[in-house]
Amino acid sequence: MRLDLSLLIPYIGLLAEGAVMTLEIAVLSLAGSVVLGMVVAIARAGKSATMRRIAFFYADVFRNVPFIVQLFFFYYGLPEIGIYIDAFTTGVVALSIAGGAYASDVIRAGILAIDDGILEAAEVSGLSRRKIFTLIVLPIALRTSVRPLGSVLINIILTSSVLSTITLNELTGQARIVSSDTFRPFEVYVVLLAVYGVLTYLVSTGVSMLHRRLNRDLQPEVN
Amino acid sequence: MRYTDFTPYDLVLLAQGLGVTLWVFLVTTAIGVTIGLVWGIVRFYRVPVLTPVISFVSEFLKNSPVLVQLFLVFFGVPGLLHVDMSPILAATITLSANTAAFIYVIVVSAIESVGRDQIEAARAFGLTRWQVLRHIIAPQAVAFSAGPLTALLVNQLQVTSLISVIGVMDLAKIGANLNLRTLKPFLVWTAVGALYYVSAKLIALIGARIEARLRAYAAFRGL
Repeated sequence: MRLDLSLLIPYIGLLAEGAVMTLEIAVLSLAGSVVLGMVVAIARAGKSATMRRIAFFYADVFRNVPFIVQLFFFYYGLPEIGIYIDAFTTGVVALSIAGGAYASDVIRAGILAIDDGILEAAEVSGLSRRKIFTLIVLPIALRTSVRPLGSVLINIILTSSVLSTITLNELTGQARIVSSDTFRPFEVYVVLLAVYGVLTYLVSTGVSMLHRRLNRDLQPEVN
Repeated sequence: MRYTDFTPYDLVLLAQGLGVTLWVFLVTTAIGVTIGLVWGIVRFYRVPVLTPVISFVSEFLKNSPVLVQLFLVFFGVPGLLHVDMSPILAATITLSANTAAFIYVIVVSAIESVGRDQIEAARAFGLTRWQVLRHIIAPQAVAFSAGPLTALLVNQLQVTSLISVIGVMDLAKIGANLNLRTLKPFLVWTAVGALYYVSAKLIALIGARIEARLRAYAAFRGL
Protein backbone atom coordinates (compact mmCIF):
# COMPACT_ATOMS: atom_id res chain seq x y z
CA MET A 1 0.00 0.00 0.00
CA ARG A 2 1.62 3.19 -1.18
CA LEU A 3 0.36 6.37 -2.70
CA ASP A 4 2.55 7.65 -5.51
CA LEU A 5 1.09 10.57 -7.42
CA SER A 6 4.22 11.19 -9.49
CA LEU A 7 3.27 8.36 -11.86
CA LEU A 8 0.51 10.60 -13.20
CA ILE A 9 2.94 13.25 -14.49
CA PRO A 10 3.18 11.78 -18.03
CA TYR A 11 -0.61 11.85 -18.24
CA ILE A 12 -1.15 15.49 -17.30
CA GLY A 13 -1.63 16.46 -20.95
CA LEU A 14 -4.27 13.78 -21.45
CA LEU A 15 -6.16 14.83 -18.35
CA ALA A 16 -5.92 18.50 -19.35
CA GLU A 17 -7.52 17.62 -22.70
CA GLY A 18 -10.35 16.00 -20.79
CA ALA A 19 -10.71 19.03 -18.54
CA VAL A 20 -10.96 21.32 -21.57
CA MET A 21 -13.68 19.13 -23.02
CA THR A 22 -15.54 19.10 -19.69
CA LEU A 23 -15.43 22.90 -19.64
CA GLU A 24 -16.63 23.10 -23.25
CA ILE A 25 -19.52 20.79 -22.43
CA ALA A 26 -20.34 22.75 -19.28
CA VAL A 27 -20.33 26.16 -21.01
CA LEU A 28 -22.42 24.97 -23.99
CA SER A 29 -24.86 23.12 -21.73
CA LEU A 30 -25.19 26.13 -19.43
CA ALA A 31 -26.05 28.32 -22.41
CA GLY A 32 -28.56 25.73 -23.61
CA SER A 33 -30.04 25.37 -20.12
CA VAL A 34 -30.47 29.10 -19.62
CA VAL A 35 -32.11 29.62 -23.02
CA LEU A 36 -34.40 26.63 -22.51
CA GLY A 37 -35.01 27.64 -18.90
CA MET A 38 -36.02 31.14 -19.99
CA VAL A 39 -38.50 29.86 -22.56
CA VAL A 40 -40.00 27.40 -20.09
CA ALA A 41 -40.07 29.99 -17.30
CA ILE A 42 -41.96 32.39 -19.58
CA ALA A 43 -44.43 29.60 -20.38
CA ARG A 44 -44.82 28.77 -16.69
CA ALA A 45 -45.34 32.39 -15.66
CA GLY A 46 -47.60 33.13 -18.63
CA LYS A 47 -51.37 33.32 -18.99
CA SER A 48 -52.09 30.24 -21.13
CA ALA A 49 -53.10 27.30 -18.94
CA THR A 50 -52.09 24.73 -21.57
CA MET A 51 -48.62 26.21 -21.92
CA ARG A 52 -48.28 26.30 -18.15
CA ARG A 53 -49.22 22.66 -17.93
CA ILE A 54 -46.83 21.57 -20.68
CA ALA A 55 -43.97 23.58 -19.17
CA PHE A 56 -44.63 22.16 -15.71
CA PHE A 57 -44.78 18.64 -17.11
CA TYR A 58 -41.38 19.09 -18.80
CA ALA A 59 -39.70 20.44 -15.67
CA ASP A 60 -41.35 17.77 -13.52
CA VAL A 61 -40.35 14.82 -15.71
CA PHE A 62 -36.76 15.85 -16.31
CA ARG A 63 -36.14 16.50 -12.63
CA ASN A 64 -37.63 13.20 -11.48
CA VAL A 65 -35.97 10.84 -13.95
CA PRO A 66 -32.26 10.03 -13.45
CA PHE A 67 -29.93 11.78 -15.87
CA ILE A 68 -28.35 8.54 -17.01
CA VAL A 69 -31.77 7.28 -18.15
CA GLN A 70 -32.42 10.50 -20.05
CA LEU A 71 -28.97 10.29 -21.61
CA PHE A 72 -29.43 6.71 -22.82
CA PHE A 73 -32.89 7.62 -24.07
CA PHE A 74 -31.34 10.24 -26.36
CA TYR A 75 -28.12 8.40 -27.16
CA TYR A 76 -29.76 5.16 -28.23
CA GLY A 77 -33.12 6.62 -29.20
CA LEU A 78 -32.23 9.45 -31.59
CA PRO A 79 -30.55 7.24 -34.25
CA GLU A 80 -33.73 5.15 -34.15
CA ILE A 81 -35.74 8.06 -35.55
CA GLY A 82 -33.08 8.94 -38.09
CA ILE A 83 -31.21 11.64 -36.17
CA TYR A 84 -27.51 10.82 -36.27
CA ILE A 85 -25.50 13.14 -34.06
CA ASP A 86 -22.20 12.45 -32.33
CA ALA A 87 -21.82 11.67 -28.64
CA PHE A 88 -20.61 15.19 -27.84
CA THR A 89 -23.72 16.84 -29.28
CA THR A 90 -25.99 14.25 -27.70
CA GLY A 91 -24.33 14.89 -24.34
CA VAL A 92 -24.67 18.65 -24.61
CA VAL A 93 -28.31 18.35 -25.72
CA ALA A 94 -29.16 15.95 -22.89
CA LEU A 95 -27.39 18.12 -20.30
CA SER A 96 -29.10 21.25 -21.64
CA ILE A 97 -32.52 19.65 -21.41
CA ALA A 98 -31.88 18.32 -17.91
CA GLY A 99 -30.28 21.60 -16.78
CA GLY A 100 -33.08 23.58 -18.42
CA ALA A 101 -35.61 21.94 -16.10
CA TYR A 102 -33.69 23.26 -13.08
CA ALA A 103 -32.90 26.62 -14.70
CA SER A 104 -36.58 27.17 -15.51
CA ASP A 105 -37.41 26.89 -11.80
CA VAL A 106 -34.70 29.36 -10.88
CA ILE A 107 -35.64 31.91 -13.54
CA ARG A 108 -39.34 31.54 -12.78
CA ALA A 109 -38.63 32.35 -9.14
CA GLY A 110 -36.68 35.39 -10.35
CA ILE A 111 -39.63 36.50 -12.48
CA LEU A 112 -42.16 36.04 -9.69
CA ALA A 113 -39.95 38.04 -7.32
CA ILE A 114 -40.15 41.18 -9.48
CA ASP A 115 -41.92 44.03 -7.74
CA ASP A 116 -45.38 44.76 -9.18
CA GLY A 117 -44.55 48.48 -9.11
CA ILE A 118 -41.86 47.98 -11.75
CA LEU A 119 -44.29 46.19 -14.07
CA GLU A 120 -46.97 48.84 -13.52
CA ALA A 121 -44.48 51.60 -14.22
CA ALA A 122 -43.50 49.87 -17.45
CA GLU A 123 -47.15 49.48 -18.50
CA VAL A 124 -47.89 53.11 -17.70
CA SER A 125 -44.91 54.14 -19.83
CA GLY A 126 -46.68 52.47 -22.74
CA LEU A 127 -44.19 49.67 -23.39
CA SER A 128 -45.54 46.68 -25.29
CA ARG A 129 -45.81 43.33 -23.54
CA ARG A 130 -42.87 41.98 -25.52
CA LYS A 131 -40.70 44.98 -24.63
CA ILE A 132 -41.65 44.73 -20.95
CA PHE A 133 -40.59 41.12 -20.99
CA THR A 134 -37.32 41.39 -22.87
CA LEU A 135 -36.13 44.74 -21.54
CA ILE A 136 -37.42 44.73 -17.99
CA VAL A 137 -38.54 41.35 -16.68
CA LEU A 138 -35.80 39.10 -18.05
CA PRO A 139 -32.78 41.28 -17.16
CA ILE A 140 -34.02 41.66 -13.59
CA ALA A 141 -34.94 38.00 -13.27
CA LEU A 142 -31.59 36.81 -14.68
CA ARG A 143 -29.66 39.23 -12.50
CA THR A 144 -31.28 38.07 -9.28
CA SER A 145 -30.90 34.42 -10.23
CA VAL A 146 -27.16 34.49 -10.90
CA ARG A 147 -26.35 32.60 -7.71
CA PRO A 148 -28.87 29.74 -8.17
CA LEU A 149 -27.89 29.53 -11.83
CA GLY A 150 -24.33 29.13 -10.58
CA SER A 151 -25.40 26.02 -8.68
CA VAL A 152 -27.06 24.78 -11.84
CA LEU A 153 -23.68 25.21 -13.58
CA ILE A 154 -21.88 23.33 -10.81
CA ASN A 155 -24.46 20.57 -11.12
CA ILE A 156 -23.86 20.47 -14.87
CA ILE A 157 -20.10 20.12 -14.34
CA LEU A 158 -20.59 17.28 -11.87
CA THR A 159 -23.23 15.58 -14.01
CA SER A 160 -21.08 15.84 -17.14
CA SER A 161 -18.97 13.03 -15.65
CA VAL A 162 -21.85 10.70 -16.58
CA LEU A 163 -21.17 11.46 -20.25
CA SER A 164 -18.13 9.20 -20.00
CA THR A 165 -20.64 6.32 -20.21
CA ILE A 166 -21.52 7.28 -23.79
CA THR A 167 -17.89 7.02 -24.94
CA LEU A 168 -17.17 10.71 -24.49
CA ASN A 169 -13.59 11.32 -23.35
CA GLU A 170 -14.13 14.28 -21.08
CA LEU A 171 -12.32 14.52 -17.74
CA THR A 172 -13.78 11.32 -16.28
CA GLY A 173 -13.46 9.47 -19.58
CA GLN A 174 -9.76 10.36 -19.87
CA ALA A 175 -9.23 9.37 -16.25
CA ARG A 176 -10.72 5.95 -16.98
CA ILE A 177 -8.22 5.56 -19.81
CA VAL A 178 -5.32 6.67 -17.60
CA SER A 179 -6.52 4.32 -14.87
CA SER A 180 -6.52 1.28 -17.15
CA ASP A 181 -3.17 2.38 -18.58
CA THR A 182 -1.37 2.72 -15.25
CA PHE A 183 -3.27 0.14 -13.16
CA ARG A 184 -3.30 2.78 -10.40
CA PRO A 185 -7.02 3.61 -10.10
CA PHE A 186 -6.77 4.99 -6.57
CA GLU A 187 -4.25 7.69 -7.44
CA VAL A 188 -6.08 8.58 -10.65
CA TYR A 189 -9.50 8.96 -9.06
CA VAL A 190 -8.24 10.78 -5.97
CA VAL A 191 -6.61 13.34 -8.25
CA LEU A 192 -9.75 13.46 -10.36
CA LEU A 193 -11.94 14.19 -7.31
CA ALA A 194 -9.55 16.97 -6.32
CA VAL A 195 -9.66 18.44 -9.83
CA TYR A 196 -13.46 18.48 -9.79
CA GLY A 197 -13.37 20.03 -6.31
CA VAL A 198 -11.05 22.80 -7.49
CA LEU A 199 -13.13 23.32 -10.62
CA THR A 200 -16.39 23.72 -8.73
CA TYR A 201 -14.69 25.91 -6.12
CA LEU A 202 -13.41 28.25 -8.84
CA VAL A 203 -16.84 28.35 -10.47
CA SER A 204 -18.63 29.15 -7.22
CA THR A 205 -16.10 31.90 -6.42
CA GLY A 206 -16.54 33.36 -9.90
CA VAL A 207 -20.33 33.22 -9.59
CA SER A 208 -20.21 35.02 -6.25
CA MET A 209 -18.09 37.77 -7.78
CA LEU A 210 -20.44 38.07 -10.76
CA HIS A 211 -23.43 38.19 -8.43
CA ARG A 212 -21.88 41.02 -6.39
CA ARG A 213 -20.92 42.90 -9.52
CA LEU A 214 -24.37 42.64 -11.16
CA ASN A 215 -26.28 43.47 -7.98
CA ARG A 216 -23.89 46.18 -6.79
CA ASP A 217 -26.68 48.79 -6.68
CA LEU A 218 -28.59 46.62 -4.20
CA GLN A 219 -25.67 46.30 -1.78
CA PRO A 220 -25.76 48.44 1.33
CA GLU A 221 -23.17 51.21 1.28
CA VAL A 222 -20.05 50.31 3.20
CA ASN A 223 -18.33 53.23 4.79
CA MET B 1 -30.36 -17.73 -31.61
CA ARG B 2 -31.29 -14.26 -30.57
CA TYR B 3 -34.41 -13.20 -28.69
CA THR B 4 -35.18 -9.66 -29.75
CA ASP B 5 -38.82 -9.57 -28.72
CA PHE B 6 -40.12 -8.52 -25.35
CA THR B 7 -41.21 -11.40 -23.17
CA PRO B 8 -43.42 -11.37 -20.08
CA TYR B 9 -40.29 -12.22 -18.08
CA ASP B 10 -38.93 -8.76 -18.89
CA LEU B 11 -41.53 -7.38 -16.50
CA VAL B 12 -40.07 -9.58 -13.77
CA LEU B 13 -36.62 -8.27 -14.63
CA LEU B 14 -37.84 -4.68 -14.38
CA ALA B 15 -39.48 -5.42 -11.05
CA GLN B 16 -36.25 -6.98 -9.79
CA GLY B 17 -34.30 -3.94 -10.94
CA LEU B 18 -36.72 -1.63 -9.22
CA GLY B 19 -36.42 -3.76 -6.09
CA VAL B 20 -32.61 -3.46 -6.11
CA THR B 21 -32.83 0.30 -6.71
CA LEU B 22 -35.30 0.83 -3.87
CA TRP B 23 -33.39 -1.47 -1.55
CA VAL B 24 -30.10 0.34 -2.15
CA PHE B 25 -31.92 3.63 -1.76
CA LEU B 26 -33.48 2.66 1.58
CA VAL B 27 -30.30 1.13 3.04
CA THR B 28 -28.05 4.01 2.01
CA THR B 29 -30.61 6.53 3.20
CA ALA B 30 -30.79 4.85 6.62
CA ILE B 31 -26.99 4.75 6.95
CA GLY B 32 -26.57 8.22 5.49
CA VAL B 33 -29.14 9.82 7.77
CA THR B 34 -27.54 8.18 10.82
CA ILE B 35 -24.02 9.34 9.91
CA GLY B 36 -25.25 12.80 8.93
CA LEU B 37 -27.10 13.14 12.26
CA VAL B 38 -24.01 12.13 14.21
CA TRP B 39 -21.93 14.65 12.26
CA GLY B 40 -24.54 17.35 12.95
CA ILE B 41 -24.52 16.57 16.67
CA VAL B 42 -20.69 16.63 16.71
CA ARG B 43 -20.90 20.10 15.23
CA PHE B 44 -23.58 21.13 17.75
CA TYR B 45 -21.19 20.21 20.58
CA ARG B 46 -18.41 22.09 18.73
CA VAL B 47 -15.99 19.18 19.11
CA PRO B 48 -12.55 20.56 18.25
CA VAL B 49 -10.61 19.05 15.31
CA LEU B 50 -13.53 16.77 14.38
CA THR B 51 -15.88 19.59 13.36
CA PRO B 52 -13.63 21.14 10.68
CA VAL B 53 -12.71 17.67 9.40
CA ILE B 54 -16.39 16.80 9.00
CA SER B 55 -17.13 20.11 7.27
CA PHE B 56 -14.28 19.48 4.84
CA VAL B 57 -15.35 15.91 4.09
CA SER B 58 -18.94 17.03 3.56
CA GLU B 59 -17.89 19.83 1.18
CA PHE B 60 -15.61 17.42 -0.68
CA LEU B 61 -18.36 14.84 -1.14
CA LYS B 62 -20.89 17.46 -2.23
CA ASN B 63 -18.57 19.08 -4.78
CA SER B 64 -17.34 16.05 -6.69
CA PRO B 65 -19.19 13.74 -9.06
CA VAL B 66 -20.76 10.69 -7.44
CA LEU B 67 -19.65 8.63 -10.42
CA VAL B 68 -15.99 9.37 -9.70
CA GLN B 69 -16.52 8.63 -6.00
CA LEU B 70 -17.97 5.28 -7.06
CA PHE B 71 -14.92 4.58 -9.25
CA LEU B 72 -12.59 5.51 -6.41
CA VAL B 73 -14.28 3.11 -4.01
CA PHE B 74 -14.88 0.31 -6.50
CA PHE B 75 -11.64 0.37 -8.51
CA GLY B 76 -9.29 2.42 -6.34
CA VAL B 77 -9.73 1.11 -2.80
CA PRO B 78 -9.26 -2.61 -3.65
CA GLY B 79 -6.08 -1.73 -5.54
CA LEU B 80 -4.68 0.29 -2.69
CA LEU B 81 -5.67 -1.86 0.30
CA HIS B 82 -5.78 -5.24 -1.45
CA VAL B 83 -9.31 -6.01 -0.26
CA ASP B 84 -12.21 -7.52 -2.16
CA MET B 85 -14.95 -5.14 -3.17
CA SER B 86 -18.27 -6.17 -4.63
CA PRO B 87 -20.24 -3.65 -6.72
CA ILE B 88 -23.08 -3.59 -4.20
CA LEU B 89 -20.69 -2.92 -1.30
CA ALA B 90 -18.98 -0.10 -3.19
CA ALA B 91 -22.38 1.34 -4.07
CA THR B 92 -23.57 1.18 -0.46
CA ILE B 93 -20.41 2.82 0.91
CA THR B 94 -20.37 5.61 -1.67
CA LEU B 95 -24.05 6.47 -1.63
CA SER B 96 -24.23 6.35 2.19
CA ALA B 97 -21.31 8.77 2.48
CA ASN B 98 -22.79 11.01 -0.18
CA THR B 99 -26.20 11.09 1.49
CA ALA B 100 -24.53 11.77 4.85
CA ALA B 101 -22.76 14.82 3.42
CA PHE B 102 -26.04 16.37 2.32
CA ILE B 103 -27.93 15.31 5.47
CA TYR B 104 -25.20 17.02 7.53
CA VAL B 105 -25.96 20.34 5.81
CA ILE B 106 -29.70 19.92 6.43
CA VAL B 107 -29.13 19.00 10.09
CA VAL B 108 -26.84 22.00 10.65
CA SER B 109 -29.29 24.47 9.12
CA ALA B 110 -32.22 22.84 10.96
CA ILE B 111 -30.43 23.22 14.30
CA GLU B 112 -29.58 26.81 13.47
CA SER B 113 -33.19 27.52 12.51
CA VAL B 114 -34.19 27.31 16.18
CA GLY B 115 -33.93 30.76 17.77
CA ARG B 116 -31.04 31.49 20.15
CA ASP B 117 -33.46 32.97 22.72
CA GLN B 118 -35.20 29.62 23.10
CA ILE B 119 -31.91 27.87 23.76
CA GLU B 120 -30.83 30.55 26.21
CA ALA B 121 -34.17 30.34 28.02
CA ALA B 122 -33.84 26.56 28.25
CA ARG B 123 -30.27 26.85 29.52
CA ALA B 124 -31.46 29.40 32.11
CA PHE B 125 -33.95 26.79 33.36
CA GLY B 126 -31.00 24.50 33.95
CA LEU B 127 -31.44 22.05 31.06
CA THR B 128 -28.24 20.35 29.96
CA ARG B 129 -26.98 20.76 26.42
CA TRP B 130 -28.30 17.29 25.54
CA GLN B 131 -31.73 18.06 27.02
CA VAL B 132 -31.86 21.28 25.02
CA LEU B 133 -31.04 19.34 21.87
CA ARG B 134 -33.50 16.56 22.65
CA HIS B 135 -36.52 18.52 23.91
CA ILE B 136 -36.21 22.03 22.49
CA ILE B 137 -34.29 21.82 19.23
CA ALA B 138 -35.09 18.35 17.87
CA PRO B 139 -38.89 18.67 17.55
CA GLN B 140 -38.67 22.00 15.73
CA ALA B 141 -35.63 21.03 13.68
CA VAL B 142 -37.34 17.87 12.44
CA ALA B 143 -40.33 19.90 11.22
CA PHE B 144 -37.99 22.41 9.61
CA SER B 145 -35.92 19.82 7.80
CA ALA B 146 -38.80 17.69 6.45
CA GLY B 147 -39.05 19.75 3.23
CA PRO B 148 -35.35 19.84 2.30
CA LEU B 149 -35.02 16.20 3.35
CA THR B 150 -37.76 15.13 0.93
CA ALA B 151 -36.10 17.07 -1.90
CA LEU B 152 -32.77 15.46 -1.05
CA LEU B 153 -34.20 11.94 -0.99
CA VAL B 154 -35.89 12.40 -4.37
CA ASN B 155 -32.50 13.47 -5.68
CA GLN B 156 -30.67 10.58 -4.02
CA LEU B 157 -33.07 8.09 -5.61
CA GLN B 158 -31.91 9.35 -8.99
CA VAL B 159 -28.28 9.24 -7.94
CA THR B 160 -28.66 5.50 -7.27
CA SER B 161 -28.95 5.01 -11.04
CA LEU B 162 -25.19 5.69 -11.32
CA ILE B 163 -24.37 2.40 -9.59
CA SER B 164 -25.41 0.64 -12.80
CA VAL B 165 -22.11 1.85 -14.27
CA ILE B 166 -20.10 -0.33 -11.86
CA GLY B 167 -22.35 -3.28 -12.55
CA VAL B 168 -25.03 -3.35 -9.87
CA MET B 169 -28.16 -4.89 -11.38
CA ASP B 170 -30.42 -1.98 -10.56
CA LEU B 171 -33.26 -0.56 -12.64
CA ALA B 172 -30.93 1.42 -14.94
CA LYS B 173 -28.74 -1.63 -15.59
CA ILE B 174 -31.77 -3.80 -16.37
CA GLY B 175 -32.85 -1.05 -18.76
CA ALA B 176 -29.43 -1.10 -20.43
CA ASN B 177 -29.60 -4.89 -20.82
CA LEU B 178 -33.13 -4.85 -22.22
CA ASN B 179 -32.08 -2.04 -24.56
CA LEU B 180 -29.15 -4.07 -25.86
CA ARG B 181 -31.27 -7.16 -26.40
CA THR B 182 -34.43 -5.69 -27.92
CA LEU B 183 -32.92 -2.61 -29.60
CA LYS B 184 -36.05 -0.64 -28.75
CA PRO B 185 -34.50 2.27 -26.84
CA PHE B 186 -37.57 4.51 -26.74
CA LEU B 187 -39.80 1.88 -25.24
CA VAL B 188 -37.25 0.55 -22.76
CA TRP B 189 -36.00 3.89 -21.47
CA THR B 190 -39.52 5.32 -21.28
CA ALA B 191 -40.60 2.38 -19.14
CA VAL B 192 -37.50 2.66 -16.93
CA GLY B 193 -37.91 6.43 -16.68
CA ALA B 194 -41.58 6.03 -15.76
CA LEU B 195 -40.70 3.61 -12.95
CA TYR B 196 -38.14 6.09 -11.57
CA TYR B 197 -40.64 8.91 -11.95
CA VAL B 198 -43.38 7.08 -10.05
CA SER B 199 -40.94 6.12 -7.27
CA ALA B 200 -39.75 9.72 -6.97
CA LYS B 201 -43.33 10.99 -6.83
CA LEU B 202 -44.13 8.43 -4.16
CA ILE B 203 -41.22 9.64 -2.03
CA ALA B 204 -42.30 13.26 -2.55
CA LEU B 205 -45.87 12.38 -1.58
CA ILE B 206 -44.85 10.57 1.61
CA GLY B 207 -42.50 13.44 2.46
CA ALA B 208 -45.27 16.03 1.98
CA ARG B 209 -47.63 14.01 4.21
CA ILE B 210 -45.05 13.76 6.98
CA GLU B 211 -44.16 17.42 6.66
CA ALA B 212 -47.80 18.49 6.94
CA ARG B 213 -48.14 16.32 10.04
CA LEU B 214 -44.97 17.69 11.66
CA ARG B 215 -45.91 21.26 10.89
CA ALA B 216 -49.47 20.88 12.17
CA TYR B 217 -48.56 22.70 15.39
CA ALA B 218 -47.58 25.81 13.41
CA ALA B 219 -50.42 25.70 10.90
CA PHE B 220 -52.76 28.64 10.58
CA ARG B 221 -55.95 27.74 12.43
CA GLY B 222 -58.21 30.13 10.57
CA LEU B 223 -60.12 33.03 12.05
